[in-house]
Amino acid sequence: MMTGKTLNIQVNARNRAYTLDGTSDDKILNLGLSNAIDLPYECGSGTCGTCKARLISGEICDRWPEAPGRKFLKPKKGEFLMCQCAAKTDSVIEVESFVHTMEAGACVPGLITGRVNSSKLLTPDVMSLQITMDQTFDFDAGQFMLVQFPEVVGFRGWSMVNYERHAKTLDFVIKKKPDGVLSEWLFGNNCEGVEVELYGPLGNATFYSRLAKNILCIAGGSGIAGIMSILSRAAQDGYFSQYSGDVFFGVRTMKDAFFLDELAAFRAECGEKLNIVIALSDEDVPASAQIDYPQLAFDNGFVHEVAGRHMEDRYQNVRAYLAGPPPLVNGSIGMLLRARVTTDNIRYDKFS
Amino acid sequence: MSKNIHICKLSDIPANGIKDFVLEGGEKVLIANFSENYYAYNGNCPHQGTCLAEGFFDGAVLTCNKHLWQWDITTGKPIGLAEAPLESYQLEIEDGEIYVRKANALKMAELFRDISTSTQDLLVKLTRREEYEVGSVLYDLGDLTDDLYILESGRVEFELGRDERTSAAGFILRKGEVFGWAALLEHQPIRIAQAVCVEKSVLLRLNGEEVVKVLATDPASGYLVMRQLATLITRHFTSSSEQ
Repeated sequence: MMTGKTLNIQVNARNRAYTLDGTSDDKILNLGLSNAIDLPYECGSGTCGTCKARLISGEICDRWPEAPGRKFLKPKKGEFLMCQCAAKTDSVIEVESFVHTMEAGACVPGLITGRVNSSKLLTPDVMSLQITMDQTFDFDAGQFMLVQFPEVVGFRGWSMVNYERHAKTLDFVIKKKPDGVLSEWLFGNNCEGVEVELYGPLGNATFYSRLAKNILCIAGGSGIAGIMSILSRAAQDGYFSQYSGDVFFGVRTMKDAFFLDELAAFRAECGEKLNIVIALSDEDVPASAQIDYPQLAFDNGFVHEVAGRHMEDRYQNVRAYLAGPPPLVNGSIGMLLRARVTTDNIRYDKFS
Repeated sequence: MSKNIHICKLSDIPANGIKDFVLEGGEKVLIANFSENYYAYNGNCPHQGTCLAEGFFDGAVLTCNKHLWQWDITTGKPIGLAEAPLESYQLEIEDGEIYVRKANALKMAELFRDISTSTQDLLVKLTRREEYEVGSVLYDLGDLTDDLYILESGRVEFELGRDERTSAAGFILRKGEVFGWAALLEHQPIRIAQAVCVEKSVLLRLNGEEVVKVLATDPASGYLVMRQLATLITRHFTSSSEQ
């Protein structure tokens, strides 16, 4: 709801300036993105520091002064995070990069409202959450939303699990984090019916069927969410009749694994060009796993190492999607670079 | 010109590896070894200042770990997603010790990348190195497009329009960035923006006509410069697109 003071923000980028009309309620990053201005960002939630900008004139209000992404800033130079700050007065800010408008057809992010439709425990510390929105919504496979619950201030970035055009519902996967205020609340309460605010869609690790490349997905834990959306779109478009898909899903033990039925169903639907391997880092593969899921393969080790073993010499015309904790993403990037995968074919959204 | 700065012993650099050093004044220099050769660059990523020594280096290609910008370590030239070259230093080895010296801004300029050394040297001879105080107006709307500028240090901002109706039109802050390129174009005799030094700045100036004359004597280099000029202009006007 827009109740704040109307104001004007000028964004000076390396190549040109943009003028934005907004209110003192609008976070500057969101205001720019909602106007189809492709401002730099990655997590959109105060962690990665990519949306750093410098205040030239005017006053801003920092909604989260403790944001971990502030460690990348030089506050004495007037630097701030666009994803956490709103203007208090007419302001001029500077972004030290080239900034262009979004390409035609891009899903321009916006603020929408919705309601938790259902939630379900997938493992003791992972839950799925379905949110029904008050309007239909378009996003690209692999994108994420920022979601805020009224009970806990602050937006969290969660990738969509499902994929459909004109979506009315969004599915998410949430991992219970030690000391995570929101996850504690979600895991401790019945949140069905709770109204939420969402901002998005965001993220560049997106998949399109016109990509025309073999795809390699390496995910750990709840990082599998965005990969499920990519598989869903690829399956809908019959993508694996022409291109191969290799999916590596890392969890500690079989007890931590989830979505195995859904992954097996993708394999059954898409055929043998889609290979799905579950990598267990903390236990040997139990004999029952292969019997229970004949469509899936199982291996032992860290997921990027397992992927490295299985992919050997199969990196031609590959687009890789990575999702999971920083050691997984960094380990996978190192492996892909050694395999001579070009960087424009390595996609991920760093959340930290 | 700048003096040689002592960095370290040759043996301090791991074989086919990288290591960074902080100079007096806080500047970070990255030294890389590849086979028998050593190279020196600014140790911060030209994208967002990330520490390059924490990136990936396979002995030939350096990759920043933040957004995967990459460079050829032998030249500092951008590869793949990278939109800017590394800031290079001239490196000298004497008695097993590594010294660096700042490189000429023209030799780092993307506009003059890959042209013949002899033409590059002729262009360097055309340069006038000038220092400007904060607030200096380099050119104004309606001025003649005589000179091409290369930034050595400092910061220059551009503004379009007149009087009350002005609007910011970008800024230049990296060593080797070129502006005032209308001086190289035909039928563009008049400046359409104002350029102001907003920090104390050092600039290399070259007369546009003289540059074109030098390039006419070496059409292969001239072709490259014009192609790179087209890329540079395009970058200012196109939308972002799926890579």
